[in-house]
This record gives sequence, structure tokens and C-alpha cells, in this order.
Amino acid sequence: MASKERILVIDDEEVIRDSCTQALAKVGHVVKSAENADKGLELLKSFDPGIVLVDLKMPGKSGIEVLEEIQAIDPNIIKIVITGFATVSSAIDAMKKGAYDFIPKPFTPEEIRVIVARGLERRQLLLESEALRLEQEKTRKNMISLVSHEFRAPLAATIQYLEVILGGMAGDISSEAKEMIERCDIRLREMLELLGRWISLAIFDADKLSENFKDINLKDLASESIDVLKSMAEEKNVSLILDSPEDLPTIKGNKVSIGEVFNNLISNGIKYNNEGGWVKISLSEADDYISVKISDNGMGIDNEHLSKIFDEFYRVDGRRNAPVKGSGLGLSIVKKMVNAHGGTIDVESEIGKGSVFKIDFPKTFEPENSDKKEEDR
Amino acid sequence: MAQEKRILIVDDDPDYAAAIEKILKTADYSVSLAGDVKSGMEQIEKEVPDLILLDVMMEKYDDGFNMCYDLKHDDRYKDVPIIIITAVTEVTGLKFNPKTDGEYLDSDDYVQKPISADLLLEKVRRFI
Repeated sequence: MASKERILVIDDEEVIRDSCTQALAKVGHVVKSAENADKGLELLKSFDPGIVLVDLKMPGKSGIEVLEEIQAIDPNIIKIVITGFATVSSAIDAMKKGAYDFIPKPFTPEEIRVIVARGLERRQLLLESEALRLEQEKTRKNMISLVSHEFRAPLAATIQYLEVILGGMAGDISSEAKEMIERCDIRLREMLELLGRWISLAIFDADKLSENFKDINLKDLASESIDVLKSMAEEKNVSLILDSPEDLPTIKGNKVSIGEVFNNLISNGIKYNNEGGWVKISLSEADDYISVKISDNGMGIDNEHLSKIFDEFYRVDGRRNAPVKGSGLGLSIVKKMVNAHGGTIDVESEIGKGSVFKIDFPKTFEPENSDKKEEDR
Repeated sequence: MAQEKRILIVDDDPDYAAAIEKILKTADYSVSLAGDVKSGMEQIEKEVPDLILLDVMMEKYDDGFNMCYDLKHDDRYKDVPIIIITAVTEVTGLKFNPKTDGEYLDSDDYVQKPISADLLLEKVRRFI
């Protein structure tokens, strides 16, 4: 036998209320009823039913309005429409407002029991998937904050100790020991950075990103990235060039993530370059978009890798002793962030000549997800 | 010589606190440690430090923020500079950015773990 449920009947006809109550109470359900919409909605709060049977045609507030209100209060409450004139259009209307099923008057006790039993199965399914979804989301978030804190904290403490030792604050050490500790320091910092990238990929949420889109001046952002990476470029004797018109229009976007896109591509251009090379950032305006070109005259990427470099964890040189180390995550994050701004990214490259990454950001962009949310409402 | 300035480190990671303590001591600061908010508050009530270095995620994920908020809204302690020092960044989606969450955060500065000795001392010297 199916489980027992609290069921609310909202109908202005006493005979319908009574027959529903009798038919459903007989199989063990707990039934309460109301003769109009307002009383029904009032009762809904205290009674907390799993299923509501609603008459479409009532004096005062209509059944359709009741459906809407219940849907807003808790979409997991199963709504079944009772109707004396089961026209296709009224049924479609009711379904649109969230009704699960409908039953034409008059009906036999068995008919109402069958429909309610089916509604109950639907409700079980809804509740289970809802619980599962919440559980998954919780696990995901917990996992991320665990990774973020529990993994970072010991790394931070260890690196902080190394900072003290290497700074000579804990007494003298042999030059051999110092060299080894410096290697430890470098390896641990690489791990910390990898962890940071992995986390930003794991929690990357395009919806959240577009919540705080603001006007962004790409030229300013590019200059900031160049400032940040200046010392890295100087170390490799690579020059950084910015080429942009003064009056570039702004785009809508998230400053931090576009900054990360720039940092990522420019630092790649430096890392995979030769002594005395250059990385050039060119900004230009087209009809509907702003175009960003980040080019270099560095090592270049072989054709066989080009189609895969935006894949997660793909590395052109995955060897542990590769001359340049990467996480295999940088470009996949770049692509996700560009796409979240409605933009596209492409790459052209030739071994020994260099690479060109071309990004087009649309001048006006309405994130799709916010439109969808409107529809859902 | 002027009297030694007193710095209180509130951090639940004893190793991290010990490393920071060492850096501060080499610069002749007097340092005391607290492993949680409660003992931190007890120490502050006994003797107000000249500066507080405050971790964020301790027993609870926002312990440091709450402690910071309480101190900055207490007339006895609101002038004590607080530097938030944390391993967690804004990517976790918590309110972590003093630029955008200033009102909530209310700390005087913010640094990320791990921090170079020079930068830490520079930040501290800005306040005391």
C-alpha cells in the first residue's frame, strides 16, 4: 500500500469536499478541506499538505490563481485540478500554472484514489531528487572549502617556516641545505598555485560571474596585467607591448576574471618565449565587438595540439621534467571565462614562429542565464 | 629606546603562528599568541595590544570576521589596528575582499598566507 499523505481539498461544493474526504480517508490519508481559495491558502500554511485538490471554478479567487500561489509557496506540493468543464484550454492553462493532473466531475471514489496515488508517486520522486540535489550541492561546496582551507593551511604554514629559515631568522644553514630548502620552497609554491587554479575551475560558476558585470575598460585592464607581469618578462628579457586606440568603448564584464584571462595569456606568451622575444597585446574595435589579440614570437604550438589546448588538464608537454611547467588548467579557465562574457577565443600558431590568441568580446552582452531565470519565474 | 610594541596573533594553526612570531620577534616586537577567538578576547581584555594579526577560518569559517567586527564596534578596542591574515581567498565566494566588503570586514588591512617576511613587516610598520 502506498504511503499516507496530508491532502487539502479546496472546492466550493460541499458534496465534492465530502466525497473526496471520504474516498481518501478510507485509504488512510489525512484530509482537510476549505470552501474557498482564501481559506484554502490559509489552511495550506498550518496543515502543510503534500497534495492539494483545487476546483478551477470557485466564487472569489479562481483555482488558477490558487495554483499559482501554491506553486510559489512550494513547487513540490502536487496540485490536482478538479473541474466540471474539462476543456482542453482550461487544462492546458492549469498545467502551465504547475498542476500535475486533473480530474473531471463527477468522479468515482476509485478514480480520485487512482489520481491521488499517482500524484503521490510524483511527489516522492520530486522530494527524493530535491534531497539528492541539495546533498550533491552541499557535498560539492563542502569539498571545495575543505580543499581550499585544509590543503592550503598546511602549505601556508610550511612555506612560512621556509621563509623564516631562508631569511636567516632561525640561524645559519649550510649552502647545500639552503639550496635544497629553496627547491622545497619553489615546489610548494607551485603546488599552492596549482591548488588555486584547480579551485577556481571547480567553483567556476558563470551565473555568479554575470551577477556583478560592470563597465570594463579593456585597455586599463591590459595595462594592469602588463604591470603585474613586468618583472617576469624582464627576467626572461621579453618585452611587453600594448597597442590600443585611446577611445576604446567599454564592455560589460567581470574585472577580476578578464584580468585573469589577460594574465594567463600574457604569462604564457612570456613563459613559452625565447630570450629577447616579445608579447604584444593589440586591442581594436569592430562593429559589434572588441577584439583582443595576444601574440608572441615565441616557441609556437604544434598543429596536433592546437585543437586540444583549451581542454582541461591538456598539456602540450606533460613531462615532469618539461622545460616549462603548467597545470593544464590555465587555458581551459581562460576559455570558460571568455565564454561567460559571450566571447569567443581562437588560436593560430606555428612552431618556431609564435602564437596568436584572438578573443572577441561582444560590445553588448546579456548573459543567457538571467533571461532563463526570468522565464522560469 | 621606546618600549616594545605588542602584537597579538590570533590563529588556530600553531605552526603558522610560530613562523609569524619568529619574523616579528626578529624585528623586536613583543608577540603573544592565541589559538582561538575566546582566548584572543581574554588576552585583549587583560592588556590591549598595539596591533592584532587575525586569521579568518578557525573553529568556524568566519570566526575571524566576527571577532574583527566585534572589536571594531567596541569603543575600547576600535582603534587597535587589525590585519586579517588568511589562506582563503575570495574565490571561495565568502566575503573576503576588503575593497568590496569593507563595511562587513572592517579590518585595516588584509594579507594572504603565506606572506614574505619583508611584506609582513612593511604592513605592520605602517600601523605601529
